[in-house]
Amino acid sequence: MFGLIGHSTSFESARNLARRLGFEEYAEGDLDMWCSAPPQVVERISVTSPTGKRIEGAYIDSVFVPEMLSRFKTAKRKVLNAMELAQKNGIDITALGGFTSIIFEDFKLLREQQVRATTLDWQRFTTGNTHTAWVICRQVEDNAPRLGIDLHRAKVAVVGASGDIGSAVCRWLSQRTGVQELLLVARRPQPLVDLQEELGGGRILSMEDAMAEADVVVWVASLAQASSIDPSRLPRPCLMIDGGYPKNLDTRAAGDGIHVLKGGIVEFGSDIGWQMMGAAEMANPQRQMFACFAEAMLLEFEGLHTNFSWGRNNITLEKMDLIGAASLRHGFQALGLESPAPVPSLSST
Amino acid sequence: MPTLETTTSVDSALDPSGGPFEGSELPDFSTATYKDAYSRINAIVIEGEQEAHDNYMSLGTLLPDQAEELARLARMELKHMKGFTACANNLGVTADMPFAQEFFSPLRNNFQAALQDGKVVTCLLIQALLIEAFAISAYHIYIPVADPFARKITEGVVKDEYTHLNYGQEWLRAHLEESRAELEQANRDNLPHVRRMLDRVAADAAVLHMEKEDLIEDFLIAYQDALTDIGFTPREIARMAAAALVG
Repeated sequence: MFGLIGHSTSFESARNLARRLGFEEYAEGDLDMWCSAPPQVVERISVTSPTGKRIEGAYIDSVFVPEMLSRFKTAKRKVLNAMELAQKNGIDITALGGFTSIIFEDFKLLREQQVRATTLDWQRFTTGNTHTAWVICRQVEDNAPRLGIDLHRAKVAVVGASGDIGSAVCRWLSQRTGVQELLLVARRPQPLVDLQEELGGGRILSMEDAMAEADVVVWVASLAQASSIDPSRLPRPCLMIDGGYPKNLDTRAAGDGIHVLKGGIVEFGSDIGWQMMGAAEMANPQRQMFACFAEAMLLEFEGLHTNFSWGRNNITLEKMDLIGAASLRHGFQALGLESPAPVPSLSST
Repeated sequence: MPTLETTTSVDSALDPSGGPFEGSELPDFSTATYKDAYSRINAIVIEGEQEAHDNYMSLGTLLPDQAEELARLARMELKHMKGFTACANNLGVTADMPFAQEFFSPLRNNFQAALQDGKVVTCLLIQALLIEAFAISAYHIYIPVADPFARKITEGVVKDEYTHLNYGQEWLRAHLEESRAELEQANRDNLPHVRRMLDRVAADAAVLHMEKEDLIEDFLIAYQDALTDIGFTPREIARMAAAALVG
């Protein structure tokens, strides 16, 4: 059985969802009440692959909302309790969606393996980052040419390059895709220098300088830096893959010649018949989902009950190959631009 | 998903290098403030174990064929009570028993009324589900911030309490269909009391480094686990549990 741990994108949407699902008491509750509310198994899901294999899973809402981020202990408890619930339900492999894996990593929850009477078995969880990184690379490779961007002659900025997904994307784009140049952007300098050394290339830039040169921007950092994007400085055309969480670049940056694509989202080949991706504000919630969630499904389809994506900087090209092949085999497709404007030439050359 | 390492700050509280987030720091057990709060919390625990003993013995009168097993559970509660009394002595604290007796009175009164009416289901919900789940959650949260002596004793007690929760679960699971309506009513009548008890104890618990939010969520997790095991659906359980959140 596979599991997905998710949460609503805001307190308001969480209350609306509760009302829609018939949890009226929760819909009326204030944030303090939600802070004390335990995680819930809100949905059971069946998915059938084009191979004919059928798997069963469960969606767990951690009852976390981003408004709780400033309450460290609450956020930590929500993640650990949701993981405990997954394990108690006998789920073999569970993806940590949305802020769940971010909180797990950044609050160093590896130190918190004991949750009441349950010793968390890390083998049962995956961040889903390998599949997310693979999907983002696929989105770059598929969509840049549709905008007239020749990747072999393009500069690709990766914002959040030293993170788990960012570094994997850099590895893939430099070794497999062969982009002209990688522009490496992140907050802390030392991990960037280490990454540059590992890649044997790439140029470290401030975000501002990178934006002035980038034909493709892969955004895998979180919210805060997005406010400093100045779309007027970006070359045209420009493909922006919004792989951050939450995804809000389109409202900030999309416009004339700038094409923003939601990154790390996949579409399944048939309707799943679930309610929860509506809460994640997917355009086609019956088929679309975060690639990290899909990773749990893929691991279940493949019988790989292991923490496939775990820790930082462990994503190898071989693992991306493996999960990418599984993704295609079981009917997932990376989200693409809907109607790209044909642009004949690469503007920066 | 991306990491926050790459951001300037989504929120300063997300930076693990700063901020008051280390919740497991031990309090100073020797201060007057700690001992004052402990005198009430410890009394609640001692009184809780005493009431549990009495309640299991009373349940034995309603379920004569189970009287032996119930008497065994009751004896365990008395053993726990002695352990917690030793914890107070160890810190040089006198438990405030009048406070604790009054603290438990709403649940005690409801239990006694149900007992008079021969309502086994209500009695089991109050003792074997609510009080046991309340105890388990409080002990779990207390253990990391307890003094070394109390920690050892509490760890031993927690294991026993799970068996008590199980007892109530098993009986109610076996009798779910005929018990359902009474369980739901008993839940409505008693869960708000648990909520008020948690509210009343919050300030003292905070002195012991136990937070109300943790206590409520952990209580609900233990309670929901029991209801799941008994056979309620997630939606029914969420609705029942809401009585503790908005009561």
